[in-house]
Amino acid sequence: MSIKSISAVCAVSLGLAGAAFAEYPERPINMVIPYGAGGATDISARTIAEPLGAAVGKPLVMANVTGAGGATGSVAVQNAKEDGYTMLFARVGSHSVNPAMKATLPYGLDDFRFVTVYEINPVACAVSPSSGITSMDDLVAKVNEGGVTYSSSGVGSLLHLAAVMVLKEFGVEEPLTQTTHIPQKGGGAAATAVLNGTATFLCTNSSAISSFVANKQLVPLMVTTKEPVAGFDVPTAADLGKPALHQLVGWTGIAGPDGLPDDVADKWGTWMAAATQDAEFLEKMTARGSVIELMSPEDANAFIEGQYNTFRKLVDELGMRIEG
Amino acid sequence: MSFLDSIAAGLALVGNIESFLALFAGVAIGVIGGAIPGMSATMAVALTLPFTFAMQPITGILLLLGVYKGGIFGGSIPAILIKTPGTPASSATILDGYPMAEKGEAGRALGMALWASCTADVISNLSLILFAGWLASFALSFGPPEFFTLILFSLTIIAGVSGESLLRGALSALLGLLLATIGLDLVYGTNRFTFGDPNMMGGLNFIAVLIGLFAIPEILAMVWNPTAHVGKARSLGKNWVSFAEYRRSFKSIVRGSFIGVFLGSIPGIGAAPSAFLSYSEARRTSKNKENFGKGEIEGVAAAEAGNNGVAGATLIPLLALGVPGDVITAIIIGAFMIHGLQPGPMMFILNVDIIYGLFIGLIVSSVFLFLIGSVAIRGFKYVADIPKRILIPAVLVLCIYGVFAVNNNIFDVGVMFVMGWVGYLMVRYHIPAAPFLIAFILGPLLEDNFRQSMLMSGSDPMILLRGPITWFFWTLTVLTVIAIARAGVRAVRGAAVLSGDLDD
Repeated sequence: MSIKSISAVCAVSLGLAGAAFAEYPERPINMVIPYGAGGATDISARTIAEPLGAAVGKPLVMANVTGAGGATGSVAVQNAKEDGYTMLFARVGSHSVNPAMKATLPYGLDDFRFVTVYEINPVACAVSPSSGITSMDDLVAKVNEGGVTYSSSGVGSLLHLAAVMVLKEFGVEEPLTQTTHIPQKGGGAAATAVLNGTATFLCTNSSAISSFVANKQLVPLMVTTKEPVAGFDVPTAADLGKPALHQLVGWTGIAGPDGLPDDVADKWGTWMAAATQDAEFLEKMTARGSVIELMSPEDANAFIEGQYNTFRKLVDELGMRIEG
Repeated sequence: MSFLDSIAAGLALVGNIESFLALFAGVAIGVIGGAIPGMSATMAVALTLPFTFAMQPITGILLLLGVYKGGIFGGSIPAILIKTPGTPASSATILDGYPMAEKGEAGRALGMALWASCTADVISNLSLILFAGWLASFALSFGPPEFFTLILFSLTIIAGVSGESLLRGALSALLGLLLATIGLDLVYGTNRFTFGDPNMMGGLNFIAVLIGLFAIPEILAMVWNPTAHVGKARSLGKNWVSFAEYRRSFKSIVRGSFIGVFLGSIPGIGAAPSAFLSYSEARRTSKNKENFGKGEIEGVAAAEAGNNGVAGATLIPLLALGVPGDVITAIIIGAFMIHGLQPGPMMFILNVDIIYGLFIGLIVSSVFLFLIGSVAIRGFKYVADIPKRILIPAVLVLCIYGVFAVNNNIFDVGVMFVMGWVGYLMVRYHIPAAPFLIAFILGPLLEDNFRQSMLMSGSDPMILLRGPITWFFWTLTVLTVIAIARAGVRAVRGAAVLSGDLDD
């Protein structure tokens, strides 16, 4: 083999390597869903996966890595290689409520780089019809009488924090002592607890209780968004003069490990812009009560940071942080 | 709209080749998915879900229901053949199904599993159609105190599956309760026994524990003594269950079905406890009690009736209240929502055609289950004829793959092997594994509901006696404990008489 042909081979392989480096992705991308199959995050992730896969041009390998309120899956991505081939579907619970509430969490917001937030879920508060409560004022009056309880999908979940934050905004001084938190295992169980009278009220993603509201099994009291939510004939936080509650929404986004290169993050921005235009995706997500709102990597980071700080402030003020 | 009109509307909706094809495909996917260890019915349903988005609502939902029903039955196939439950619901089927396969009666066990499953399925579907409204209102009267008493009662199952020694059974149950405490504390959110490892924060994975406890000890025993099985006839799986055996077990099947219907209509319990409760009741009332756990066909029948009885009944809270009873129905409810349907009381008024369409589809699904199940058994039962030295390594590969696939987590595979050694030691010291499993499932439920009750009442224990349902289960628990104690005393006396100790 002559020198010439060796150098030719070298040149070709170098060229290939260069091309491969420039063209992320060159192989399938692992997408970690930190919550169980059939949950809000899972359905959202699998719905975006279709148009997103088309935009990426390489297969997306979806894997549910569940446990500990999203922590197990999040840790899996935190420790992954920072090459953009392992990405996480981050959720409000795993990436703003949990870090704000749990001192023992093995990760923080700084361990991730968010490339987008694409879905916002309005939060709604509701009671059972038999409680006789029909407005937030009624609820606050009941709280002052005592004996009010609220359910959640677990300690350190969005539902847990949401109930406390709403009460605090409506002038309840000591939400932790004036009411009782009855944690359940999962969002479905939390709604059932209000249905069967175990708890007085809950604040959760509007999509989780929209069928109960439509069937008049639950009475909604308010939604936390600026705009009204379809199917919820109740005042918004803006109507009630509580703009601080606009921060209290659920969301789904995509994140990679902290050291994710800029060009990878940019690529995700372009892909997501294409994917969220997909008519079928929009239709399915809106049918479930989600608001599709695409954020650029910078906006997403700012949004999550802002929500985290609000939550953290409330948690520190009330002494809700879990240290053990 | 009259009843006949509703049925006609339902028929019009499902009376097309597409719906039946979807249902048939669903049952087939379910049986195969359920038969792969670690795949489980839940994952089969979750993986099928995206395919239903593009379908008509009724077609898509029938497909998912088919997968669900097929999956619950399919799980019994590996439980009987290789002692590895394909889905947690079929863990009770191992107790008698695997010993039967060991005796060369795999065909009979599988046949009985199919017949019992289909019978329970029919009973469960009919209960859904006839009593949905009534059972749904009953389900809503189950708060944490009622749950607590129900689960307390269910813990008496331990006595039923302990085998010869109640003490050994209790020891096994204690071990299960202990390991179930690993993970996050429900009320305070603090870590318990996680040793700072994020992998432990979610608790030990149930399927990893299950497979580790039952399948791995077989493999370890084989490694320890590779030629132990030589000379023992394990084949052939050719025999088939007879109608006389079915008739003999019929009472247990019907009882198991109703236990399934009852537990299925209450959200949050699931199919595995139902199968164990049905099994233990069958054993308690059976004439040949001693044969249970050694390959009694009635045990297989009771366990399978118990888990399939749940399948139709979990749709009761789903359709009547919009409340999903377990993980699988939570996924199915997602399918309803994607199509803009909102399960609940209003659905019986607004979408009565869909409701009746589903009812018709469900009844047909029992027939499909029987047909597809028969074919599947014919295919799978030859696994029993494979020589053990070839089968066992294959099972090991399947276990590792299956446990990894549940959560895509290598840690779970480690849990499986550790539990495998625990299970192996338990077998060597004659400690039964079933009580461990029951305690592992029910322990956290017992604790959570107790603590939720205490939160509700401000730590007043009187809430545990708050209504007729709690009184009922307290009475049942006390009566069962007395019965167990008496049986124990009698057994000791009997032994004493036999050994002549009472002669003076």
